[in-house]
Amino acid sequence: MWKVTVKGLLARKLRLGLTALAIVLGVTFVTGTLVLTDTLNQTFDNLVGTAYQHINFQIRGKAAFSTNSVSGKGARKPIPESIATAVRRLPGVADADGSVEGYAQFVSGGNAIGSAPSALGFSFDPNRRLSSLRLVQGRAPSTAEDLVMDKGTATKYHFKVGDRVRVVLGRSAPKWFTISGIVTFGTADNLAGATLAGFDLPTAQDLFDTRGQYDTIDVLAKPGADNVRLQRTIARILPADVEVVSGQTVVNELSNAISNALSFLSTALLVFALISLFVGAFTIFNTFSITVGQRTRELALLRVVGASRRQVFRSVLAEAAIVGVAASLVGLGLGVLAAVALKALLGAFGVTLPPAPLVFAARTAVIAMAVGVGVTVISAIAPARRAVRIPPVAALVENHEDEGDSLRRRMTIGGAVAVGGVAALVAGLAASAIALVGVGALAMFVGAGMLAPIVAEPLAGFLGRPLAALLGIPGRLGRENSMRSPRRTAQTAAALMVGMALVSAIAVLGASLSLSAKTNVDNAVTADDIITGPNSGFSTSVAPAVSRIPGVAVVTSVYHGQFELRGALSGVDGVTTADLPRTVHLAITAGSAAPALATDELLVDTTTASADHLSVGSIVPVTFAQTGASTIRVGGIFKANPLIGSYVVGADFFRSHFHDPLPVAVLVAVHPGADHVESAINRYLNVYPNVGVQSRAQFEQSQINTVNEELGLVYVLLALAVAIALIGIVNTLMLSVFERTHEIGLLRAVGMKRRQVRAMIRSEAVIISLFGAVIGVIIGTGLGVAFAASLGQQGITEISVPFAELVGFLILSALLGLGAASWPARRAAKLDVLAAIAAD
Amino acid sequence: MNSSDHGPASPAARAVDLTKTYGKGDAAVHALDAVNVEFERGRFTAVMGPSGSGKSTLMHCMAGLDVPTSGRAFVGEEEIGLLDDAGLTGMRRDRIGFVFQSFNLVPTLTAAENITLPVDLAGAELDQEWFDYLVKQLGIADRLSHRPSEMSGGQQQRIACARALIRRPELIFADEPTGNLDSTSSAELLDFLRRSVAEHGQSIVMVTHDPRGAAYSDRVVFLADGKVVGEQDSPTAESVVAQMMTLGK
Repeated sequence: MWKVTVKGLLARKLRLGLTALAIVLGVTFVTGTLVLTDTLNQTFDNLVGTAYQHINFQIRGKAAFSTNSVSGKGARKPIPESIATAVRRLPGVADADGSVEGYAQFVSGGNAIGSAPSALGFSFDPNRRLSSLRLVQGRAPSTAEDLVMDKGTATKYHFKVGDRVRVVLGRSAPKWFTISGIVTFGTADNLAGATLAGFDLPTAQDLFDTRGQYDTIDVLAKPGADNVRLQRTIARILPADVEVVSGQTVVNELSNAISNALSFLSTALLVFALISLFVGAFTIFNTFSITVGQRTRELALLRVVGASRRQVFRSVLAEAAIVGVAASLVGLGLGVLAAVALKALLGAFGVTLPPAPLVFAARTAVIAMAVGVGVTVISAIAPARRAVRIPPVAALVENHEDEGDSLRRRMTIGGAVAVGGVAALVAGLAASAIALVGVGALAMFVGAGMLAPIVAEPLAGFLGRPLAALLGIPGRLGRENSMRSPRRTAQTAAALMVGMALVSAIAVLGASLSLSAKTNVDNAVTADDIITGPNSGFSTSVAPAVSRIPGVAVVTSVYHGQFELRGALSGVDGVTTADLPRTVHLAITAGSAAPALATDELLVDTTTASADHLSVGSIVPVTFAQTGASTIRVGGIFKANPLIGSYVVGADFFRSHFHDPLPVAVLVAVHPGADHVESAINRYLNVYPNVGVQSRAQFEQSQINTVNEELGLVYVLLALAVAIALIGIVNTLMLSVFERTHEIGLLRAVGMKRRQVRAMIRSEAVIISLFGAVIGVIIGTGLGVAFAASLGQQGITEISVPFAELVGFLILSALLGLGAASWPARRAAKLDVLAAIAAD
Repeated sequence: MNSSDHGPASPAARAVDLTKTYGKGDAAVHALDAVNVEFERGRFTAVMGPSGSGKSTLMHCMAGLDVPTSGRAFVGEEEIGLLDDAGLTGMRRDRIGFVFQSFNLVPTLTAAENITLPVDLAGAELDQEWFDYLVKQLGIADRLSHRPSEMSGGQQQRIACARALIRRPELIFADEPTGNLDSTSSAELLDFLRRSVAEHGQSIVMVTHDPRGAAYSDRVVFLADGKVVGEQDSPTAESVVAQMMTLGK
């Protein structure tokens, strides 16, 4: 039986090759994702390891809680310089150097280089024993006008020693510096793509507002020192709010933070990989169904000469397993290449990554093979069961019809699966249980796939009518062909149905997001102009300067930080309270807004208030990283708006709990009738290349653009699923052409032109694609509305169905179907008439 | 052969009131109408009848390929109707051989692989001597590595015969085995079947509508409208034609 399986496989190379392609692509995606994230993890781990390789201990301010951010900056208070002096005197300590760091972004040609979070400024420590930075050109900074620049930035933007460079800083206006030297990080040109600006210690302390203080002190132990004892000795002389940790602890903390950030990326990518494989599963199922149908006689013959049901079943599954293994191996290979491509893709979307060798873990191979082979074999189970049901007598009678499942049975089971899926989906959305949503969606699609054959004949007939009218005989025959095997049409279209459903759902979600973004801005922002910069904040000097511009009525600074409320980490916003309603609209439902904020009370949004059972007058425990635990009284409840966080406090209160925070936004209200205020602000902001001003309309548009950019990435990721669905259509058409060789030969013999044969096949393809797309768009719209409705608390307040876009998807699907038909159509047209007629 | 051990008391196969009805009510067609027939061991029995007489249906039901509406069918002492799918599979694989009109070879396998397929399916050891003997007797030794598509109809049917015989089955069912062959190939094939009865005591049941083919058999059973309507021992082509003529009336 093994021989029959293998020989059969070889005889159907092409068909199975196309099937395998679906798995190859899915496995490629899975492998690519795993290799990429492993590589990134390894890259960052190496960098972190290099950065702290020499350090035995680090002394730093205690954080009341740990934030999730990679840079722990802001969560810890600076520590006095005197600690370093004291530690240096301890026996067993070889060296102890304090350092400070902060935001410093280079400017080239009037534009800030790179992104704010990766613009690192620091005090440059020429001590090779403690620092991983190496001076490769020039000298260390020695005056307040000097800095060292990383070699990566210098090379890319053509800076050399002696050049002047402007640097944007957090606290002050941008400043000019002279490049005194070029540094590398270990042997790398920069730190994982981040730009580096190193100043001498006093300058850095001045720039980053830590005069007389350090952010951290790195300690080097003497060779042979007992590190455990030394750490205890150091700890003994530290104040209560300062701690000493081992270098390894720092490395682990950073590595974990990076892994967490990356695991989000890999999870997101794996979801799309699994979607692709799911669509691929439909394609495999369909191909195996058709080949089992075409091999009815052969399989029946095997039964006649004594093959048991189990042997037939195993034979079909073995075939699937072989295809799965081969496809997964190819996918594994391509996945490694894809990892490189994915890196480039991320780069195209603004996520720059350092160059590094690829990491190929054994776990990657195991998962990729298991998923690839598993999906193939599972998809082939239903066709294999059908193969088993073929009676031996089918070998002896002409045209044995496989009646398949009865319509009623199909409706019952398909309906039950679909309804169950929808129920699980809705329940999952209601409970925010992502896994349940996934399983529900899966079941819903499988159920829809089972039900689709029921409507295939009438719907395909309906969709094909214009083609039949337009193209005459070829169109009519194409329409008939799509109707004569409803099950095949529906199964072929099912993969595209899933793809289009997801695309449509995303479109609905995107349209709803865009509309909501606009509404949310309208509801929350009353300011005329909005000044924004890096997420980490921008110079505190902007707000006072802007407030002096003629025509400016009110300026509100907005701060953002994190605190723990009843032990749970949350974001908290701080706003200046003077004339707040002129810039920010807080729809108060209980208590008050500005008065409460002015008296150091907390405002909570309605959603959080009802979830956490908070009301005006509630006293809640809060913890700030730098100032520790205290309590706060709830002074007002406002209507939830995603643009405003769940918790709002007054700016004075905020500043008293965060060490010298930077505003993340400055909101500006203009006197009525005042002209040219925006251009005046713009002129002023020219000094700050990292800060910009937008009118409210522009701000709305930029919010919508952000949504659209994210949608763009999702569409790209879903495109693979659609491509796999198209491969399925190509495959089915090839099988149909092969099956109807005799019939096509007859048509040619009675005078059908090659062009007409092509038109016939193409018509069929367009009808199949449209069939899948119509059902997919309908399901997807429902799915999208359900998603959008369930995300009301996450900011989707409006639901919008983009009809033009959805119609566009239908047209696109028809065109894609046309494209998918081109190869099968040419093949059918090229059939030799005589040979085709002779074929049995 | 083992078949000769049982003696005439135990037929190779028999049907008892075997009935097969297609359709229901007024549209019902009785392909088999309470047929009672026995096929003796070690003999070559031909089943004859005009088109639609039910001869193929009889064979399918007796071989366990099709399920009768009522009545019973036996291969040896084994009642077909009592066997489950596994039992039927085992019987087809180990005790019955089939030769069909359309040669029914597996297109992806070579001639040799087609012949040994039942052995492979059973996971049994190939009897190489018997294989060589069959191949030599059938004159297909030089065709063993060819695929069915590379062989003539006569060659394909001889491969099918070898496949039917490779497991030394108790009984061979042949359904119009010469239906697609020219007269020379037909004669060669029938001669081979005849000899395997004479030399190895093989039991063969052959459905045919060709009187010349029937003349190779030891006994002819005539079927018409789903009923057994007569039989002849040691038939000749002429005697068969004569009896067929009476059936037509």
